[in-house]
Amino acid sequence: MTDFSYKEPILTLRDISMQFGGEVILRDISLDVLNVVRPGLSQGQVVGFYGRSGIGKSVLCRIIAGLLPPTTGTVLVADPPRPVCPGDVGFVQQRYPLFDHRTLLDNLLVAAGRKHAPAEAKARAEDFLTRFDLAPHRRKYPAQLSGGQRQRAAIAQQLLCSEHLIILDEPFSGLDIAMIDEVKKIILEVTTLDELNTVVIVSHDLATTTALSDTLWLLGPERDAAGQCLAGATISKQHQYNLAQMGLAWQPGIQARPEFVQLIEHLKDEIRKT
Amino acid sequence: MLKDLFVPNAKPRPGVFLTMVACQVAFLLLLWLFYPLQLFPTLGEVVASFKDLVTTQGLIQELWASLTTALGALGIATVLALLISYLTALPFFRPIAYAASKMRYLTLTGLTFFMALMVSSGHQVKLSVLIFGATVYLVTGMTSVILTTTQEEMDHARTLGMSEWRSFYEVVVLGKLDEMLEVVRQNFAIIWTMITLVETLYQSEGGIGLLLYKQNRYLHLAGVVAIQLIILATGALQDYVFEFLRRTFFPYSELRAAK
Ligand SMILES: Nc1ncnc2c1ncn2[C@@H]1O[C@H](COP(=O)(O)OP(=O)(O)OP(=O)(O)O)[C@@H](O)[C@H]1O
Ligand SMILES: [Mg+2]
Repeated sequence: MTDFSYKEPILTLRDISMQFGGEVILRDISLDVLNVVRPGLSQGQVVGFYGRSGIGKSVLCRIIAGLLPPTTGTVLVADPPRPVCPGDVGFVQQRYPLFDHRTLLDNLLVAAGRKHAPAEAKARAEDFLTRFDLAPHRRKYPAQLSGGQRQRAAIAQQLLCSEHLIILDEPFSGLDIAMIDEVKKIILEVTTLDELNTVVIVSHDLATTTALSDTLWLLGPERDAAGQCLAGATISKQHQYNLAQMGLAWQPGIQARPEFVQLIEHLKDEIRKT
Repeated sequence: MLKDLFVPNAKPRPGVFLTMVACQVAFLLLLWLFYPLQLFPTLGEVVASFKDLVTTQGLIQELWASLTTALGALGIATVLALLISYLTALPFFRPIAYAASKMRYLTLTGLTFFMALMVSSGHQVKLSVLIFGATVYLVTGMTSVILTTTQEEMDHARTLGMSEWRSFYEVVVLGKLDEMLEVVRQNFAIIWTMITLVETLYQSEGGIGLLLYKQNRYLHLAGVVAIQLIILATGALQDYVFEFLRRTFFPYSELRAAK
């Protein structure tokens, strides 16, 4: 069993609920992402975030990123904790927006330039271009890129300027196997770069995402005592999985282990039920 | 090859397409040459009157004078309209844009009177009427371009850590410049038609509009047709110039369009 302990909170959600014109989407969501410490390592956090389509994952992501004020509740980030502001949390949106009026290279440079001096920004942008197989397309405009190329560009853009927290809304959909590996590698790299780095991955690809994660959230409706579905989805206590405590985190080749396979089956059942 | 011309959304080769256009124009001219309509001047009369207008009446100079006035007015109106529409980002200034846009419904005649009281020279009256007329249309077009900004686009800029102003600059100002140019192109036609009207009201300045007015008054039908054709051709040419500018400065703007 790997040795680990928890320290200060990095991201805190308190009683988040969200309604759109009377329609309850999210209800009573309270969570903490704590800084996990492993001796001798700088180990960041990876959260896998699941739920049926249309359940409210993207809405919760926008709330966490400070882009959408929740109906009730607060999101706290940083140390000491303070309410989130737009820009605190990097967020790759589901449709991978880029600046359509800038070339691919310019898109990366404008992001890198927010945190780094020009020479450094250039070097970092170039690095991502090569790693994501985008170098030959640097002069193209976003409208000329393939779906997967756009996606990698959008992920690179956020990584270039994000602080510790970053949310990826469906980072694996539409990528080929080699590119999924590359994105996985980059997520691992980001989360081992700094103790405080934290990546939230929204995905329908349970196996890939669970293998990367140390925590899972499952967003779904809750039933009351009479078995009736309550309006609005939430992440209940039993739907917050601590993979570190289950001995299923940070292990290469974990996907072959029977416990892991069992967990995936269990997750599938839980998602079907909701 | 030829059947491409009758297939929906087909892309005939440029050569083929240009030949087709040339044939259509030639056909119209031939029709005009051999089957003259009653009343309507013949092709020969129009060409003769065109020559006469150029040599004795200074058609080219008048055209140039009108064109420069129109472009000057358009330049000022564009700057004004951009300012007014960008300021809609601040709630305080939104009523101004709203009011400006609604002024489209004012008629020119009442306006020229006020303008004449306010400024001294005829040229200035002309210019200010044109600027006013263009600005109100431009503001309408530009604010509607700004309103096409999506939540996703703004959120994208914000998540990159850009401030509200910087996000606005990146997404709305830089991101939509090409569409603003398109608005200016579309509305230049309004100035171009308005100027002929205004020139007849302030005759001291001359211009192509006054020339047209005179031809009308003396019932020189051939002259009227000749001038109308020139006005039309200049307008079409301006359209091409704007297209060209757009392609040069905003190469990304046509990438999405269906080809
Ligand atoms: N601005 C809005 N106004 C009204 N309803 C909204 C708004 N945004 C989202 N919703 C509703 O909230 C629900 C959740 O949407 P959301 O985009 O979060 O789904 P999701 O879980 O991300 O689904 P998917 O996996 O398909 O991306 C949907 O029913 C949607 O219609
Ligand atoms: Mg979604």
